[in-house]
Amino acid sequence: MSTLYALLFMAASITLVVGVGMKIRQYYKTPAPLKIPTTPAPTTQAGVVMRMFREVVFFESLFKSTKWTWIFSWMFHMGLALVLLRHLRYFIDPVWAPIQWIQPFGKYAAFAMVIGLLGLLARRIFVDRVRYISAPSDYLMLLLLIFIGFSGLMMTFVVHTDIVAVKYFFNNLWTFGWGPLPMDFPLLVHITLVIVLLAIFPFSKLLHVPGVFFSPSRNQVDNPREQRHIVPWAEALEKKD
Amino acid sequence: MSLLTRFRGAALLLAVALAAAAWGVGAAQLAEGSKALEAKSCIRPADDMRRNHMEYIHHDRDLVVHKGIRDVDGSLAGCVDCHAGREADGSAIPVNAEGQFCSGCHEYTGTSITCFQCHRKVPEEK
Repeated sequence: MSTLYALLFMAASITLVVGVGMKIRQYYKTPAPLKIPTTPAPTTQAGVVMRMFREVVFFESLFKSTKWTWIFSWMFHMGLALVLLRHLRYFIDPVWAPIQWIQPFGKYAAFAMVIGLLGLLARRIFVDRVRYISAPSDYLMLLLLIFIGFSGLMMTFVVHTDIVAVKYFFNNLWTFGWGPLPMDFPLLVHITLVIVLLAIFPFSKLLHVPGVFFSPSRNQVDNPREQRHIVPWAEALEKKD
Repeated sequence: MSLLTRFRGAALLLAVALAAAAWGVGAAQLAEGSKALEAKSCIRPADDMRRNHMEYIHHDRDLVVHKGIRDVDGSLAGCVDCHAGREADGSAIPVNAEGQFCSGCHEYTGTSITCFQCHRKVPEEK
């Protein structure tokens, strides 16, 4: 059983890394022929970096458009960030000091994460115009993350598992030296769902993670008059005339 | 060439790795020279202790400190008495010293131990 989990986890991780890598390559190569930054937009490259920072860390444009969505979404994402940092302790040895310090914060951030997700799920169900455009995969992602969060909380606060064995399993995974995974129900649910999430990540809406950095309306400098925006293939056509 | 011969190398590697893993995990992490080495088992099954020892310690603390019930079936002092390692000359090593019974796993998983800011970490010498 542990061997099955080990092989599935490895396959899922490889799918994630290769899949997201290929997607990033595709996004990188997709031409942006038009100058379309959403105005008011920064007029310098440094300004664009700042704008992107505010977008990624504070979800600025979402804040400006919908406060309810913003508050649940931001709770979820910040909670997830802390929870993911906390989980690093299972994958690195020795555990870095900053990762040790955030352990208690990561523990309670899991509540923020699940509450945020439940808010986003309620939005899909109770806001008519959002329900109308919601596809099955929108619900699937939310439910996957909710059950991952819930099973994790169960392990932290209700039915503990043998975390030393868990760390041994993941730390020795890539050298084919994994030990037995504890056969505890919440752990198996948690890991199964994480495997599913990793494997479908490169084919899902979760690609907004790398995608946000490639949004022309967010990553362009507002300088069409100072500097002509022309992509290489258009330039080649122009030269031919 | 059959599938088996083609992947013979990989299969062999996998088998050796699995065997090594099974052996590595089985090894106990009890401290050198501790009484626990000679004991047949802990006061509860090791599997249970690995998962829940902190709950038991907290539970007993609540009974003793909050309710004044001092007659509990386990105690932190008992853990320390049994699990503290000893040097060759018989002197006790603190359970939270590097690589010892408590800190071995606690350091591995980045989990803090606050017990020994107050409680003693070596057996009581009688």
